[in-house]
Amino acid sequence: MRLYEHEAKKVFREMDLTIPKQYGVIHSPDELDGLKLKFPVMLKSMVLIGGRGKAGGIKKAANMKEAKAKAKEIFSLVIKGYPVETVLVEEAASEAGACYVGITTNPVNFNIIAMASAEGGVDIEQVALERPEAILRKELPANNTTLPQATASQFAKFLCKGLKGDKALEKRLADAVSKLYATYQRFDCKVAEINPLMITKGKKVIAADAKVVLDDNALYRLSDLFDLLGVREARHDVSEPTRDEVRARDAGFTYVDLLPENARKQKDKLYVGLVPGGAGYGIFSIDETANIGDRFFGGKVVPVNFMDSGGGPPVNRVAEMFHLLMDKEIVDIVITSRFGGISSCDIFIRGLIKCLRDRHAKGMRMLPVYGRMVGTDLPSAKAFLEKAKIETPEPLKDMVIVVGNQKIMADIIKAGLKRGFELKGKKVSKTKTKVITKKKAKPKKRAKAKKGGK
Amino acid sequence: MSKRIPAHEGMLCHFIKHARPDLVKTIKRTQKIETIVVGLGRQGTRHAGLMQEFGTTVTAGIAPGRGGQRIHETIPVYDTVKECLEEHPNIAAASIWRHYTTARDATLEVIKAGVPLIILITEFIPLRDVRDILVAARKHKTRLFGGNTPGVIFPPEGIKIGMLPDVFYPEEMRPGEFGSKGVTIISRSGAILYHMSDGLASAGIAQNAVLGVGGDGAIGSTFRQLVPIAMDYENTDLVVVAGEIGGSQEELLAEDIKANPGQYPKPMVALITGAHAPEGKTMGHAGAIVAPGQEFGTFKSKKKALKAVGVPVVNSQYDLIKEVKAKIKRKRYFEIDRYYEKMRLKWEEPPKKPSWGTITTKVAPNSLVISGYKLEEIIDRSTLLETAHLLVKTELPAKKVLDGHHKRAVKAALMAAPPVTRFKGEDISQALAKSFLMDEELSQMPQAGKDGPVNKTIFALGRFARYLAHILGTEAALDKATVKEPFANVIYRAVTGEEKVDPKRSRMVEAMVVASVDHGVTPPSAQATIIGASVRPDYAMAVASGIGAITDVHGGAGAKAAVFFQTCVAKTEKEKLGLDKATEAVLKEYMNRGQRVQGMGHRVHTQDPRRDALWKMVEKNGLAGSCVAISKMVSDIFEQVRAMSLPINVDGVIGAIVADMGLRVDLAKALFVYGRVAGLSAHYFEEIASQSQMRRINFAEAVYKGKELREFPR
Repeated sequence: MRLYEHEAKKVFREMDLTIPKQYGVIHSPDELDGLKLKFPVMLKSMVLIGGRGKAGGIKKAANMKEAKAKAKEIFSLVIKGYPVETVLVEEAASEAGACYVGITTNPVNFNIIAMASAEGGVDIEQVALERPEAILRKELPANNTTLPQATASQFAKFLCKGLKGDKALEKRLADAVSKLYATYQRFDCKVAEINPLMITKGKKVIAADAKVVLDDNALYRLSDLFDLLGVREARHDVSEPTRDEVRARDAGFTYVDLLPENARKQKDKLYVGLVPGGAGYGIFSIDETANIGDRFFGGKVVPVNFMDSGGGPPVNRVAEMFHLLMDKEIVDIVITSRFGGISSCDIFIRGLIKCLRDRHAKGMRMLPVYGRMVGTDLPSAKAFLEKAKIETPEPLKDMVIVVGNQKIMADIIKAGLKRGFELKGKKVSKTKTKVITKKKAKPKKRAKAKKGGK
Repeated sequence: MSKRIPAHEGMLCHFIKHARPDLVKTIKRTQKIETIVVGLGRQGTRHAGLMQEFGTTVTAGIAPGRGGQRIHETIPVYDTVKECLEEHPNIAAASIWRHYTTARDATLEVIKAGVPLIILITEFIPLRDVRDILVAARKHKTRLFGGNTPGVIFPPEGIKIGMLPDVFYPEEMRPGEFGSKGVTIISRSGAILYHMSDGLASAGIAQNAVLGVGGDGAIGSTFRQLVPIAMDYENTDLVVVAGEIGGSQEELLAEDIKANPGQYPKPMVALITGAHAPEGKTMGHAGAIVAPGQEFGTFKSKKKALKAVGVPVVNSQYDLIKEVKAKIKRKRYFEIDRYYEKMRLKWEEPPKKPSWGTITTKVAPNSLVISGYKLEEIIDRSTLLETAHLLVKTELPAKKVLDGHHKRAVKAALMAAPPVTRFKGEDISQALAKSFLMDEELSQMPQAGKDGPVNKTIFALGRFARYLAHILGTEAALDKATVKEPFANVIYRAVTGEEKVDPKRSRMVEAMVVASVDHGVTPPSAQATIIGASVRPDYAMAVASGIGAITDVHGGAGAKAAVFFQTCVAKTEKEKLGLDKATEAVLKEYMNRGQRVQGMGHRVHTQDPRRDALWKMVEKNGLAGSCVAISKMVSDIFEQVRAMSLPINVDGVIGAIVADMGLRVDLAKALFVYGRVAGLSAHYFEEIASQSQMRRINFAEAVYKGKELREFPR
């Protein structure tokens, strides 16, 4: 979970790192009037994505008039797809030098790695690529809770040399690096970074920016941090959870929207909701659906979600998993797979049928369901399914569940998509008939759109 | 499944060889790869059983505060890994099922104890904790799979460690006989494994090992470390690597293939998942996340890296099957229909009948076996204290331990009796039950720890002599007992009140007590104690409940049988009849009065093994008289009179012996109760050690899970 800059700064302040004076967080330019400002000030867009500066999301203002105009500009920005909704207003410190300090985990061996450069600022990535010697990296495999004194002064000396500072500055830099490391360990961070770590004209060392990404696995023991920030809910690394993501979490399963919340539905495409089993297959079934869509259905298939039931879900949770997708306007068909190793086919089919019957009884929107079930409790699941079909044929008329593994799941997905197009063809338009398979129509488009999002 | 490959030839042993070569010799000798289960919550306990069913040797469980208990009635639990390794030094692997809040400490404990292979099932362990684990694993050279791994499974050897279901199909040489060849699958996800395996099996491709490396961001072993080991295993034909977005282990694998091609001599196919995943959103696996703006960790970066070193990268089941088939030259490891058939049979299996286990006594018609030893042999060769030890500890005691027991029991017998008075006409078992409940000495005897249960049992058997003496008024004789004489003498003093003890008579009395020790979990007395124990009352309360259930109907027929035999003998003398004729006459009198002859018939046995052992001994010791003689013929006579076959039972024989020895007839029941205290004690401790509190108990569902039949050691 990534923190907003103003939140990360609160954490830094808690750990006794010096930060610029914080005037407040505003949601519109008018709110500037309510703040006690001492100009010049910095206006900074609060989005959970890097590269704000280059996108015009960070501006300095010398007086109120300028501040309002610039705030207005910033509020109108959409940075890499994320609209600016809040702006941080803080003291603009007088800069005499800027460096970079970051702590993260080395993806190669999972050791902590500390990095520093005297050439901080927006181009640090460029520096890393072009002049790696300008960055001091040190791996810290011992996983200590505090940074060893020797390492801290090694970093401070390196920075001080680049900044041409004196002993006093060196001491302050060592202090800042130690405190950042302590923050990283104390608050279970994945990333803790200051860029720029600013040296003011008064030789003070200030964290002018702050990036903190928390380890999601450690959130349970960070309630003091949540209290400090006044944050109630965990969020993604780059965005707030969507409405359905929160709904799923409340029901006790993991769900992720793949499309923006208000995505516009394209008529000729088939939008597929997925109820797979297991986290890994949850991701894989998205690929499988998209690939089979590209290969056999002209790239007109759009998977809409990731879902993971968690091990051994009860009947009501299974029902809620289907309800959620059927309540989603954009979804055309639900494709599902149960490979019960630990979870039971019996509970799965009962949950699915409960959902369909309830919706039918209440006159709610019904979607076709296609899938396969194999594994634990198959005989009783099969018996329940057959009986249910006889007892209540109407709510189950658009449900096809293949029993057993004579067909692999890829074949089932293919058959499900075919049926989805057939049913959609019947319902949506009578003029447009079947979507012809195997025609390779713009399968590249999705990949391109994704690239743009980076 | 039937014929497996030898344990030391499998891939698991291959992995152990890398970490601990010294263990391989042991594995070769024992054909066992011993594992432990750390963390015995719902999942850990459940899967300990499933692993065992699959064929894994689950030697022990670890759960702090639960040392001395047993899971699935047979797997001992230790408080710490260290204690476990002291008893079982050959533990080769541990699976860890602890919650993510305590997984760090548990894993560090296993690593430091020196277990070479760890399967860390726990998911969502904080990164900082994982780093602590990795620091320790590096130091101790531990091979760590996970966190968040579904486990590892080796279909040819029939071993799994973890929660993978049994859906993976090995090479089949002949129907039911398995070979060690196949492809090895190494995956970050569990659920993907089923679908990959299903896809490959549908093309006749066997899997010789399936290894889950774990779905978390930071894990113990990555592809780069595992693939070369898998390829080094001679029976691996190809390795499938199932990666996903996030992290950089696929890229690092590619780098290593380039740098050290010699370590990758076999074909490989990579399935990478997450081509269509959005940036910055975690999807189930903490590791499967594309960090915005990073150069590695994306589907594209992984595909590019692996393709560049010649590894085909697929993103669908169809392509996976196609590529693997091509690489292994369309080799088929088994008949595909056999795979489908196996799966069908597996899934259509009716749900298993519920059952629970006991390890004390195996009861079958005409056979009673305590921890693998025939009861008739025990009666013949073993003392009460030895038998009690066997019941509670499942092994006979060593000499030194037995000496300790002896002292403890005699000391207990010499302590003052609890203030119990027997009402006029009160059943002796009721008076004995009262003694248990009133005994402060007994209630203060601790029962915790490894030897607590057996020591308490022995103490109770000593106290029992005192209760009996107090009730029967034989305390003066008992007070003269010393630790220098066998415990049989102590029993004899209490039972008879005789101060001069004839060793043959005392041994005979002890044999009758030993014959009564246990009859499994179904007799009403055992049921009463077990039901009591299920709500964890004090020891004395539970045992007293069982004793209270011993009545004239159950276990107490001996006294009435003795009277019957004495009546027959009296008739012989009075009417100058032969024993047979007199017995026939008395039987008829009983029938005419509508009176039952006690001591005949048994729910299970037609030839009670205890009966023959007692007959043998009573004759050997020269104590058999007319009553014993009648006891041997009464069944046949009964059949002639009544046209019904009703064998004499152990109560009847005890009644006959008691009568022939000239003892008080109501002692027949007291001796039975005496012996049964040992059995009830064992059931009490078994219940609290191996079953959950207040469980629903169906005694018809009990199955014997203890030691198999073995030779008595002397």
